[in-house]
Amino acid sequence: MTPQLDSQQLAAHFDSVEGPELVGAHLTAEQFGELLAGSAPDASPQDAFVEAHLLACEQCSAELDELRQSITLFRDATRAYANEQMLHRTRWVLPTRTAHSLRSGYWAAAAAMLLIALLPMQVLYQHARPAQPVAAVSSVPDATQSDEALLEDVDRAISTSVPTPMQALADPTATASNDNFASTSTQRK
Amino acid sequence: MRDAEMCMIPNQIPGFDTTSFDREQQATPLDDLASVVAMYQPRVFRFLLATLRDRDAAETLTQETFLRAWTARDTFREDCSISTWLIRIALNLARDHTRTGRFRFWKHVSSSAVDAADVASIVPAHEISAEAHLIAQQQVAGIWQTVDGLSDRQRTVFLLRFLEEMEIPQIATVTGMPLSTVKSHLYRALDAVRAQHSKAAQTLNPSPKEIA
Repeated sequence: MTPQLDSQQLAAHFDSVEGPELVGAHLTAEQFGELLAGSAPDASPQDAFVEAHLLACEQCSAELDELRQSITLFRDATRAYANEQMLHRTRWVLPTRTAHSLRSGYWAAAAAMLLIALLPMQVLYQHARPAQPVAAVSSVPDATQSDEALLEDVDRAISTSVPTPMQALADPTATASNDNFASTSTQRK
Repeated sequence: MRDAEMCMIPNQIPGFDTTSFDREQQATPLDDLASVVAMYQPRVFRFLLATLRDRDAAETLTQETFLRAWTARDTFREDCSISTWLIRIALNLARDHTRTGRFRFWKHVSSSAVDAADVASIVPAHEISAEAHLIAQQQVAGIWQTVDGLSDRQRTVFLLRFLEEMEIPQIATVTGMPLSTVKSHLYRALDAVRAQHSKAAQTLNPSPKEIA
């Protein structure tokens, strides 16, 4: 803040400066800035003049007071608003997540994903096991043979690109084209 | 050595340097993070909110400020206050954040953007007349809008001086600017506020003195 002059200093300035000179020219923007910013006072004659002018000039004095008041209102309102916003926002997280905890988190996530992937397979496996007949234990060789025969049939059926009943329909032009090719070759001959 | 140089923080702090967690570290005032956050979080959030004018961005950068401070706590040499150090980190983060064009675009359309009317509505209505309350709200909104129109440096200096009530040498430390430059930016910011204030006063019939 601008230094407060004592009564002797003020009296000296009022004596040295004419009254109209004090009030005639208003404070400059820089002087207002210094007063509002409260930059480090050095009690220079310039500061003393500013103080004396403020005492003599109601307009500058009133403007300075109003500006200070507005800035105080701005500060108080902004602080109150920020405090209100902080109370509404409670999801503050302390930065305690170290690299170790991050790494362990990644491992846990990977393990969970692996578990999720393996679980349906385990369930399917458990469902598949009761399908083996208990009674087949008494005739294990026959069942094995029939199973093997069945599997061979299935393999054969899978290996053929076209099912046997559909073989005739697979390439209806095959025989025709062969015949045509044979007839054209004989004609050339 | 200048104050600004005494309170240096590294520009590039590694995000998660695993080696820094494993080695033995000397005790610093920032080790008790919960206490530091409880004490300084309102101030950091407030400064970032007034700087960025975006609630979400201010919240995110507040957390980032403490994360960076904690990660780089070894570099804190106690030659300035923790508050000054934290505000400096927050200011650097805000600068990086506002450099992006994306921020400038989303600032205007973001749902979390702070409007001058939101802040002005906080002005307490007790002990003043309805008319004076309205004038006070207009004054706050006017300064809020004027500050928004300032250059980045002018805004920063203005907020540090009048919102955070930092002394000018302290502002020079936080911003890394010379004292004369800080004063220059501050005077220009105040000149803009004064011009807006005079303009608003002309449109208002009652004297703002009634608010007192």
